[in-house]
Amino acid sequence: MATVADKPRLPRKRSRRERRNDGGSALSTYGLLAPTLLVLAAFFLLPLYYIFLFSVALKRFSPTEALAALNGELNGFSGELWGNLVSWNVDVAVLGLDFAIPAVLIGVVLIVLLVLTVAGGRLSERHGTWIVGIAFALLLMPFLTIPAGNSLLRIMQFTSEGIQLNLFFKSVTMAMTSSVIAVIVAIPVAYFLAFCVQRSKYTWLLIVIAPFLTSYLLRVFAWKVILGDQGLINSGLMTIGIIDEPLTFLIYSQFTVMVVLTYAWVPFICLPIFLAFETIDRRLLEASMDLGATRWQAFRKITLPIAAPGVVAAFLFVFIPSIGEYVTPTLVGGVDGTMFGQNLASQFVGGSFNWQYGSAMALFLMGVVLILVFATSRFLRAGGGGL
Amino acid sequence: MGARDSSTFVLISPIGKRVLLVFFAVFLVFLYLPTILLVIFSFNDSTVAAFPLDGFTLRWYELSWQTGEIRQSLSASLKVAVASAAIATLLALLGSYPLARRNVRFRPLMSALLLVPLVVPTVVVAVSLLTMFQRGAIPIGLGLPSIMIGHVIIALPFAVLILLPRIASIDRRLEEAASDLGANGLQTFRFVLLPLIFPSIISAFMIAFVFSIDEVVIASFLSSEQPTYPVYLYSGLKFPEKTQALIPVATIMILISFLLAFGAEAIRRYGERKLEGR
Repeated sequence: MATVADKPRLPRKRSRRERRNDGGSALSTYGLLAPTLLVLAAFFLLPLYYIFLFSVALKRFSPTEALAALNGELNGFSGELWGNLVSWNVDVAVLGLDFAIPAVLIGVVLIVLLVLTVAGGRLSERHGTWIVGIAFALLLMPFLTIPAGNSLLRIMQFTSEGIQLNLFFKSVTMAMTSSVIAVIVAIPVAYFLAFCVQRSKYTWLLIVIAPFLTSYLLRVFAWKVILGDQGLINSGLMTIGIIDEPLTFLIYSQFTVMVVLTYAWVPFICLPIFLAFETIDRRLLEASMDLGATRWQAFRKITLPIAAPGVVAAFLFVFIPSIGEYVTPTLVGGVDGTMFGQNLASQFVGGSFNWQYGSAMALFLMGVVLILVFATSRFLRAGGGGL
Repeated sequence: MGARDSSTFVLISPIGKRVLLVFFAVFLVFLYLPTILLVIFSFNDSTVAAFPLDGFTLRWYELSWQTGEIRQSLSASLKVAVASAAIATLLALLGSYPLARRNVRFRPLMSALLLVPLVVPTVVVAVSLLTMFQRGAIPIGLGLPSIMIGHVIIALPFAVLILLPRIASIDRRLEEAASDLGANGLQTFRFVLLPLIFPSIISAFMIAFVFSIDEVVIASFLSSEQPTYPVYLYSGLKFPEKTQALIPVATIMILISFLLAFGAEAIRRYGERKLEGR
């Protein structure tokens, strides 16, 4: 566990002249870098280039033409797979009202919102926070679910006639909801550890993080034991006599997947949020209160803005692995909880065997995540945290 | 750190503090409940992990001890984890040192390249490696070496994130002094920098190791006949009749991870106290 003293200190800026006096020749510098860069080029960039070739049908993998035809492979450049994936129309339902909108328009609106969140702070000193806040809320809204009774409620919903895109929207919703809930749960925990615990803070932090170090699969499995038809909750409720038969929505549903994803990542993201709170200079808070700020004002005007990069990093730490998740939905998702990652995986190793289409799906997923990271990188740089 | 101790002002109201304390307690229960249940079910005398409980037994421990597949998969995992953690740490060290110390062209681009596997979903890395190992320029096929390569790629950014800031934070005048006194580059590294960053090297290795030993996505795409432990576990969890024999191993693995985590923390504290005492 890093302490305040260990906090990454960036190398100070040095003049050109000073830089030239750097020990070591250029040859040794690049000689040291070369192995790492070579490994990344060969085993990270080159494979991505391969799936790019597959996704635009510039490369086929079947040994003969006949087999290729049998597999439904495309030969020669074609955008068909992409067209198939990102279908033209997207339906937007706002509180029960339906609109059909071209997918391109949705993309444009999302990109404008992303730009606003990036540039928001610079647009105006006074309203920047509000612009960023509203843009973020609009971005999040279509992708948040609220449990209501036995079903899940959405304020706004995207659907599409393209099966994969539809599934993608659903997966974004599930990943987004679990990341937001995870962050909301982690903030008070981190706040409590940073500001209320006086003694052996880091031991408590470790107690919080330790479950993350144990097997991910087993924690998923343990939830099956808790939420299953004969699990802790159902058998408990039936013993008391509140219900007569097991609640079915508890297991093999979207709800289960979101609970498990939230549970799995909460301990881990307590760390960046805790570090963000911990590095705040207490004297700032003291000064603000001496000057008459209320506790809430001190929290909103000082604690929250300083901790924001850590919170955003934490959000990404949950969202990125969740959006491509296929292990959790396979184990506890059932039909209702199917995610994009499962379909993507089945294009390569199971059921619907189609590497070309799978490649397009993989690149699409990566593209969306990279855009999101790019949009939030300003926040992360500001805090010097993580990425 | 004087600022932290001068908590004479009250940052949070007593009621707020109590609410947070209750929240924290509930959170800890939520966090540890699944693990505790697993331990309970490892002693439960029933073929399915479900309530009500059926009495105490040790037969699942016996069964998993006798299952050869479990031992083989554990040893496969261990090999992959040690190799990938060692390689990832070495590559991260080689990459971080020039980035922190030397004048590198396109530095932001280079460090971004080292970190970018972190923000690519693992399943994308897995399928792209699968296509390349089977049909691409480096057709080494599937198996433990392929899994190891995949784990190196994903663990590398974590190791860089630990090592790069650490190297950058060390006063470079120490190295300058050493070279003024006649040490060559290698000696400076070996006798000045290496001892200072050694704890970070260990923790980078540990992080990479812990990641690899629990990684299932890349491993399940790239494994051939011999599965790693998580892959074996994953296939076992999909078939309820295989599950019970896995729970005891799981319990033991969880205990080992807890011991490692708290042991590492104890060692770190001991080291700090020793430094302070000097």
